[in-house]
Amino acid sequence: MRRSTSRRPWLAEGPWAWLAAGGVALSLLMVIALLVLLAGRGLAHFWPQDIEAVTLEDGAQFAGQVVREQGLPGEVDGRERLYRTGNRDLQGAQWRWVDVADIDTRATPEDLVIVERRRWGPFIGRVVALEGPETRWTVEDGDTLWQQLDERLNRVSQLRSERDVVRTQYLEPLAERLANGEKVADDEDELQALKARIVNLQEAMQRDRVVLESLEGQQLTLTLDALIDVTRPNAMSLPAKLSSWGHNVWRFLSEGPRDANTAGGIWPAIFGTIMMVLLMSVLVMPFGVLAAIYLNEIAPQGRLTRLVRIGVRNLAGVPSIVYGVFGLGVFVYGIGGTLDSLFFADELPSPTFGTGGLLWASLTLALLTLPVVIVATEEGLARIPDAQREGALALGATRSEALRRVVLPMAVPAMLTGLILAVARAAGEVAPLMLVGVTKLASQVPVDGTFPFIHLERKFMHLGYHIFDAGFHGGDVESAMPLVYATALLLVLVILVLNLTAIFLRHTIRTRHRVRTH
Amino acid sequence: MIDRYPPPAPVRRRFRDLRDRLFTLLVGACGIGVILAVLAIGVFLFVEVVPLFGGDTPASETQATTEIDFESLWLPQQYPDYETPRYRWQANVLSEDDTPMFSLTPLAWGTLKAAAYALLFAIPLALGAAIHSACFMSRRLRHRLKPALELMEALPGVVIGFVAGLVLAPYVERHLVGALALVLILPLGLLVAGVVHSCLPATLARALSLSRAGLWLIPWLALLVALAMVMSPYLEVVWFGGDMRAWLEQQLGLDYAMRNAMIVGLAMGFAIIPTIYALAEEALSGVPDSLSEGAQALGASRWQTLWNVILPAASPGIFSAVMIGAGRAVGETMIVLMATGNTALMTLSPLDGMRSMAANIAIELPEAAAGGTHYRVLLLCAFLLFVFTFCVNTLAEIVRGRLSHRYRRLGGLA
Repeated sequence: MRRSTSRRPWLAEGPWAWLAAGGVALSLLMVIALLVLLAGRGLAHFWPQDIEAVTLEDGAQFAGQVVREQGLPGEVDGRERLYRTGNRDLQGAQWRWVDVADIDTRATPEDLVIVERRRWGPFIGRVVALEGPETRWTVEDGDTLWQQLDERLNRVSQLRSERDVVRTQYLEPLAERLANGEKVADDEDELQALKARIVNLQEAMQRDRVVLESLEGQQLTLTLDALIDVTRPNAMSLPAKLSSWGHNVWRFLSEGPRDANTAGGIWPAIFGTIMMVLLMSVLVMPFGVLAAIYLNEIAPQGRLTRLVRIGVRNLAGVPSIVYGVFGLGVFVYGIGGTLDSLFFADELPSPTFGTGGLLWASLTLALLTLPVVIVATEEGLARIPDAQREGALALGATRSEALRRVVLPMAVPAMLTGLILAVARAAGEVAPLMLVGVTKLASQVPVDGTFPFIHLERKFMHLGYHIFDAGFHGGDVESAMPLVYATALLLVLVILVLNLTAIFLRHTIRTRHRVRTH
Repeated sequence: MIDRYPPPAPVRRRFRDLRDRLFTLLVGACGIGVILAVLAIGVFLFVEVVPLFGGDTPASETQATTEIDFESLWLPQQYPDYETPRYRWQANVLSEDDTPMFSLTPLAWGTLKAAAYALLFAIPLALGAAIHSACFMSRRLRHRLKPALELMEALPGVVIGFVAGLVLAPYVERHLVGALALVLILPLGLLVAGVVHSCLPATLARALSLSRAGLWLIPWLALLVALAMVMSPYLEVVWFGGDMRAWLEQQLGLDYAMRNAMIVGLAMGFAIIPTIYALAEEALSGVPDSLSEGAQALGASRWQTLWNVILPAASPGIFSAVMIGAGRAVGETMIVLMATGNTALMTLSPLDGMRSMAANIAIELPEAAAGGTHYRVLLLCAFLLFVFTFCVNTLAEIVRGRLSHRYRRLGGLA
């Protein structure tokens, strides 16, 4: 290590010293800017933003949320503002660029609502009335209207979950049994009864209706069944907004995507990523550790071992897409194809294991992260002072005993570091997954109640691929962007936390052994 | 390391010995197996690629086999729709009578172009940062900086690619003048900071010392960037008549693609800065103290010491750092996929897009029929990437190994 040079009074360091300092500053600035951008945009999306009622110079009116403002191309002073106006079914588009100079007045009246719907994206406008089977509440009823709306929305969501339970737990298993030909006498009747019950529930969900009106004057009547949530951001107090923000974040994390990945949550992607990483860890850890033990403790330390070590290290630098190609060629087409022709021959030509899936993706990533685990474990093993091994041997332990009782327990933090680094790498890797099993929208998660519970052959969703797909393959990039930001933020947070843990662990290992050797 | 066996065992320890031998055997077998499996990647790719040149390509049902040899892959070909021979990559044919065009030259060009622009951006920044932190920073600050840049390395490519392709690219398109002006503004701003620093009163100058410049320059640079962006429309009016893209097209004949080599260079440069930085810093701070102390005793300034003594001594290490960075840039997939238009152009212009080998594999391999010519050509791409990165990394590793010997020798001489 060089000594600290800050005490030496050299004034004229010349211009290059300052440019070199700029290298550090600019690199840090870019990292900070990236993180701030992700955090800002990712978290702001869930904030219930005010709805503006805008009147233009020509008298036209519309309502919308401000998305951003930018200079007009080719002009110095002109600015334009992007509004999210919703109402894709009424207006044909849900985004509107407005020249700032054309705007006459902007107001935030409290009665404006944003309605999340199951189809057509959000509605922005006013609630005119709520129609029950007998009664009708209008805006004049004030708070009663909003209370009734809340109650009835709750009722609908209860009915919906009841319907889902009936469908998934009773109807579908029964239908499957019938399809397999295992008929019992009254099954047919039970099936009819269940179907009738679902129809009843669905009719009950459509009992209440709400009449909406956009600021342009178009009216719309929707059953509450078609609504997800109604909020009045302009009327919300700060605590209410905060709780709504928290609720939105929770929904983002726990729900599935809607509207071709432009709305809703990312739960299947989180779940798929976790499953894949878990499976990968189970696969990579034993083999990585064994290989490291072999290289460091058992193999004769000659020229060949050194070459192998360099080779393994270099594999960490091989592009991940190459691992993907290997996974596709060997696991999917090679092993998967063979498995299919041996065990799933009656399903062919539609492949079971002969296509990308959870198992092959995990195996490919295990191979990809193997060098990471080997290098980290080896570093840990090399740091253990030889005195420990010699002490154990001198006391009469065999080599395997010395390894298992003395050396390996001391190397556990290093193995953990390797595992964490491997997990962090695997969680962020997308390119190989595109070849071996990731999908944009998985209809089924890889784990469910039917035997064998974990379906290794199924395709799955992945956070990283979700970013790529929603951002680049969706039709409506503008509405996907906030979700992509939020997904990217989540992914980066997970990876940063994992890496910080690894850095911390490595630091503790280094200091611990330094103390012991002295 | 255990390189000596325990002393000969008495008879009653035979069972333990047996267990020991079994365990060793098991670990050894597993270890060798794993290492062989990992090294099998190269073998697999090679085996899959060979039939392509063997002449007896097995005909697949879905795809007409095309004659492939060295010439058709790398040299310009005469295609039916063009007058002159040219390089074309168009693997997916739309109708029956079209022939797929498999020229790897534009893909290799795109790969190298993206890597070159990334290195162009990353080398000055990473080496500057390495020099600054190895020679000017206090040790405490350096130990804080390292994890920060390690985190930068861990940022997934898909996030960087997303920010580059969907946020940075449209933004730079609107603030093109300002963005280009930064190339001048930032270095000038740094020099201004240096000049201002030398004029500061002693107390303030100590607070804002050069050893901490990496930190206090951040807000200054952020301010400069913001200024450049605000000034951008004004500069555009003054210099380019209000529309730089039209000016570029008329005056220089350059087309501006939103996702271009400049953006890729920036994004991928960002991704490889930490790699280059870490290795270069290691090489620089590993130079034996006796060398720099000797130079300073002879009256050299810190910068003179660095330039004439430390840099030449550490140059193999810096070379290997750049090599490893280049290896990463060549193989990076997601950033190139997301931040370029993925059109297989062969131009040098920083304002054009490109299609790289890695991105091409990611796009086309899922659709290519297994065993067909297209599939095998894509595997050839993967094989080339593998061989290239493996060679580059091995070379860098060997150079690094030599370097530590050299340091030990140099240190021993003093």
